[in-house]
This record gives sequence, structure tokens and C-alpha cells, in this order.
Amino acid sequence: MISACIKAANFTRHLQFIVAFSIAFCLAGIIPAHAATGALSPDDKNCLECHGQEKFEKPMADGETLSLHIPGKAFAASVHNPVGCAGCHADIDLKKHPQPSKKKVTVRENSIAMVQVCKDCHDDKFKLYEGSIHARLLRDGNDAAPLCSDCHSPHAVRPNTAAAPMTEVSCRQCHAGIYKVYAESVHGQARGKPGGKAAPLCPDCHKAHEVKAASSGDQIKDACLTCHSDSLAVHKSWLPNAERHFEAVSCPACHAPTAKRRVNLRLYDSVAQERVAERQGVPQFESRARSADTKGLGLDALALQSLLKEFNREGAESKTILRGRLEVTSGPEAHQLTEKTKALKECDTCHREGAAAFQTVTISIVSPDGRPVHYGAQKEVLSSATSVESIGGFYAIGATRIKLLDVLFVLALLAGVGVPIGHMTLKWLFRKYRQKLQAELQAEAAKSDSQPSTDGDANSSNSPKQ
Amino acid sequence: MNQMHKLYVHPLPVRIWHWTNAISFILMILTGVQIRYIGMVNLMSFKMAVDLHNLVGFVLIANFFLWFGFYLFSDKIKVYHPELSPMKHFRDSFRQMMFYGYGIFRGQPNPHHVSVYHKFNPMQSMTYQIIMLLLVPIQFYTGVLLWDVEMFETGVNLFGGVRVVDTVHVLLFIFFSAFIFIHPYLASLGHTPTAHFKAMFTGYEEIEDEPAGH
Repeated sequence: MISACIKAANFTRHLQFIVAFSIAFCLAGIIPAHAATGALSPDDKNCLECHGQEKFEKPMADGETLSLHIPGKAFAASVHNPVGCAGCHADIDLKKHPQPSKKKVTVRENSIAMVQVCKDCHDDKFKLYEGSIHARLLRDGNDAAPLCSDCHSPHAVRPNTAAAPMTEVSCRQCHAGIYKVYAESVHGQARGKPGGKAAPLCPDCHKAHEVKAASSGDQIKDACLTCHSDSLAVHKSWLPNAERHFEAVSCPACHAPTAKRRVNLRLYDSVAQERVAERQGVPQFESRARSADTKGLGLDALALQSLLKEFNREGAESKTILRGRLEVTSGPEAHQLTEKTKALKECDTCHREGAAAFQTVTISIVSPDGRPVHYGAQKEVLSSATSVESIGGFYAIGATRIKLLDVLFVLALLAGVGVPIGHMTLKWLFRKYRQKLQAELQAEAAKSDSQPSTDGDANSSNSPKQ
Repeated sequence: MNQMHKLYVHPLPVRIWHWTNAISFILMILTGVQIRYIGMVNLMSFKMAVDLHNLVGFVLIANFFLWFGFYLFSDKIKVYHPELSPMKHFRDSFRQMMFYGYGIFRGQPNPHHVSVYHKFNPMQSMTYQIIMLLLVPIQFYTGVLLWDVEMFETGVNLFGGVRVVDTVHVLLFIFFSAFIFIHPYLASLGHTPTAHFKAMFTGYEEIEDEPAGH
């Protein structure tokens, strides 16, 4: 738990903070006079006498260097100016400062400890952060997982309302590749223009603190529909089964036309109505998939059935099914969004045999950290009669049609054309035989007609008896 | 050849239903083939094929109720009355099969004699009941489910998913595709190749007079 990581900051410091905060705000008014003018308080100026010096730093126990430099102008303009240095660094005893500390070995350890200070004021944001993929990675011991100070330079935090160039978005520090693609996308281009603040930046879609693994749920689709609220109505005007398309096709699959697409068969709990997630500490998906994939070529239709059976073994509380979805294959590709006039609109791009979107198939489950784990399947699972049950919920007309039905259709056509032709041929072949029989019958009839008329008379005379 | 007389066996509503059905089925098969085999077949765009398939589908459903309503509220429903004796039905069906498979090549007469309330031979009677009361409704139902998968999600899930619904729909499409060839051929086996076709326009079947003594 993160709490365990950061509880190194003790209760005394918390009290010190409250005292300092109270002094700063309650006694001096809501905003100290110096802060209102963008100036620094005398105490802060004292601090900056040393900390304002560039290359002011201290070595950590592991050999890293912790910068102690505070850019004065940026701090004076930041939202933390009213709090002042002591607001966050209340643990520093000026009488003994600088005091050597051996408690924190690394720069990161120092940053983790400082998260507690942020939490004291920003508890609501911290709670959101705790449920995020970033916090999960931190709990898993990932040293690259971002902390408060990694995204928000604490000495230069700008107000939310301040216009900042998109290049300053902190996400790009770790997600540089995605940022580069975003900057060239329709959103990035619009954001980069003067007055383009309405165009989305990373946190607008992914959320700043409660950021989740993008491909794990529907939150990104929901984000799209928040701004593009009329998109379903617009699609319904020309797209058959528009709601189904919204359900089974991710937005970038059409709106990033150059992206590579794939079918992702998600393991889904139809009872709980959510994606199946691996339990912490007992990963089963990959081992089950590997044991089903005996040839190592990717899961075929039978292996897929057997994998599903494993998840639905007797005693399983849930009913696991596969829910297919057409999506792009990577994060950068998901950001290659283009103008809507360039989006894929031709139905037969996907609804034809051999369509590129159906050449790659994966099965996925949600890992304990929230990110999906994929295992490859053979593309033939989409057109196999064996898969009718296992992927009953996913079907794209034309592209994933069942081959066996094509064979039956050809046989039916052959029968439909062949039976009449065969029957006609037989009739033609038997025509002479038929004519012969008819002639014999007529001859017999003529013969009976030519019998002595007494017969006819006799019949006539006997007719009342008939 | 014996003398012929005319018998009114196909009332106007039945004829309207029949030809609407015939044209619609052909359109449904053509658009269905276009939808399923786009790229291999290029009669029209995918979108146009889907729109036309949906439109004609609803025409067919409305037309079905014309047929159903007519037979339900008229005494002509007798033509569909099943033969209650299975043995007799089997015997008559076998006799009819023997005619198409053997007797017709020898020039033997059709064992079935058309009358106003008995226009179908035993094979037709059974086949049409299965088609009209089972296969066609299933095809309509699966078609409507596929028309709006989300709106009819419950129905789709009862089948086991959209792929299962589509498989049933396509299996019936395959059956009807064969039927659309065989049906007109069988209709051409009247006393002249066009006799039954003409009757389905005029309503009057030409019936051979019974020879004296029969």
C-alpha cells in the first residue's frame, strides 16, 4: 500500500503543518498581502537566499543528487506562494537547519515522503490517485510510477485557469511517443492553435488523477462521447446498427484510419457484467492459454473452447464469455485521430473477406494492475463453425463469415440448378420410351374401340345396371 | 388428350401475396448475397444492399400477414388442413414422389387432382406448412434481430449471440436459395410448362376432365 510507503511522515509533522497553515491563512487573512501582489514573504525570501541559487543540491546516500534549487519567480507566481515554504516544509527546524539527514536514501524516497504533504491539503485528489493505474504501479514497486511531484512541480504549480502551452503537459515526460502522435492528431493540431484550449489535452480524456489503463474499459469511449455528444445520432443517420458499432468498435478503429486494427476477444463475466480480472497473486490466464495452445501457434477454435471451459469449470461463480471488439493495436495508434471527413466510412473496408482488421486476433484479460494482458489467437477462429458458441457475441458480416456455410451455400446452389437440369435431362432421355408407351396405350385404346359394336351396345344396354 | 376445364383455385389475395413474395425473395437473396460476399459480388454498394435488404424484409413481413390473415379468416384455409391419418399422408406422399421420380418419365398422369379446397399435393401441403409456419417466421425473427442488434439484445442473447442468430439466418437463406430454383421448375411440370404460371396470374387452373368411367 502507498499508505505504508508514505507513513514515514509522522504525526508530529502533520501537526506542525496544521499550525503553519493556520498561521498563514487564519491570522493573515485568506490570502496574505504579499501573495496577492505576487511577491514573496520575508520568510520565504530568507529561504531563497540559499535555495534560490542554481545548482544548490545535496547528495543522497545512494549517490544520487537532490536538487534544492527553488526558482524564485516561478514560486512567487505559483499557487503555493500563499502557503509559503513553511507550509509544506514544516518539519524543518530553522535553528538546526541545515541538518544532515540519513533517513532518505534516494531522491525517489524523498518524493514518496513528500506525497504525504500534498495529501494533507489535496486529500480528494489523493483518493482519486489511489485508484489510478499510476498508484497501482507504485504499489507494485514500479520505480517509474509517477508521484505528485513528478507531474506537478511543487514550487511552480500554476492555477488551473492559467493558459499553459500543451507542450508543458506533464504526461509527455513518460509518454513521449504518444504525445508526439497526439500533437500531430486532429486534437493536438486544434489545441496548438491560438484559442484552441477547448481541444482536449491528455487529462481531458484520461483524467488527471484517476487515470486508468486506457484499453481496460469504456472510459475513453465515454470521454469521446462527452465532447462529441451528438455522435451517436450523427452515426445513426447513415450507419446501420450504429449502437452495435459503438459497442463493438473502438472510436480510433475508424477515426485513426492509418492505424493497424485487430480483434480483441475480451474475457467477460456475464453475471457480474464486467471484464474478467486476474486475481492478485494467482495469475491463471497465461498458463491456461499456453496449455490450451498445444502447438504454440496461437489459440485455434478448439483451444479457445477449451480455455473458456477452464474459466467456467464446475463451481465457478461467474459465467465467462468472450466479447469481441475491434480496436487499434497500440496506444500511439489510438491517438492518430484525424478529421472526421478522413475517417473510415466505407462499409466494405471491414465487411469483406480478408479485411485487414480481422487478420490479428487476441484474447485478453485484465491484469491486477488494471492493464489488459493479451494472448494471440489464430485468425481462423473468427470463421470457424466450432467458434459459433465460444464467440457467439462477435460477428462482422462478410469478414468473419463461417466457411462451412459458404460450402453449404454452393452445394445448395448446385442442387437448386442441378436437380431441375438433371430432371429435365432424364425427361429428355426418356422421351422415346415415353412416346413408345403412349403409342402402345393409344393402340390399345384404339383396339378396344374397334371391338364389335355389340359390346358397346351391350354396355349401353347394361348401363343402368352399373 | 382429355378436355380441359377451368377452376378458380388462386384467389386474388393469394396471387398478390405470391408474386410479392416471389419478387421479394429474389431481392432478399440477391441483396443477401451482396452483403455476405461483397468483393466477390459487386451488384451494388454494401450500404445500398443493407438498406434494400432491410426495406424488402419489412415488405415481406407485412406480406406474410396478408397471407396469414386471408387464410385465417376465409374457408380457403382448408387447403392447408393436414391429413390426419399419417399412414394415408405417407402413402400419398410416396405416390407423389414416385410420380416425380419415375412415373413422369413414363408419361403417367399426376396422381394428384386439383380441386378448390385441395390444390396442394401431399408433398406440397406438408412442405408449405413447414415453410410458412416455421421457416419463414424464424427467418423474419432472426432478420429483425439482426436489423437492430442492440434494440433486440435480449432476443439475440436468447439465441446465444449475434453469430448464432446470423448462422440460423444464413442456413435458412441457403435453403430458400435452393428453393427459389426448384419451386419454379416443379411449377413447370403442369400439363404445359406454363400452365401453373398462367394460373398464378389469372387464378384459374386448367384441369383435365376425368375420363368417363373414372
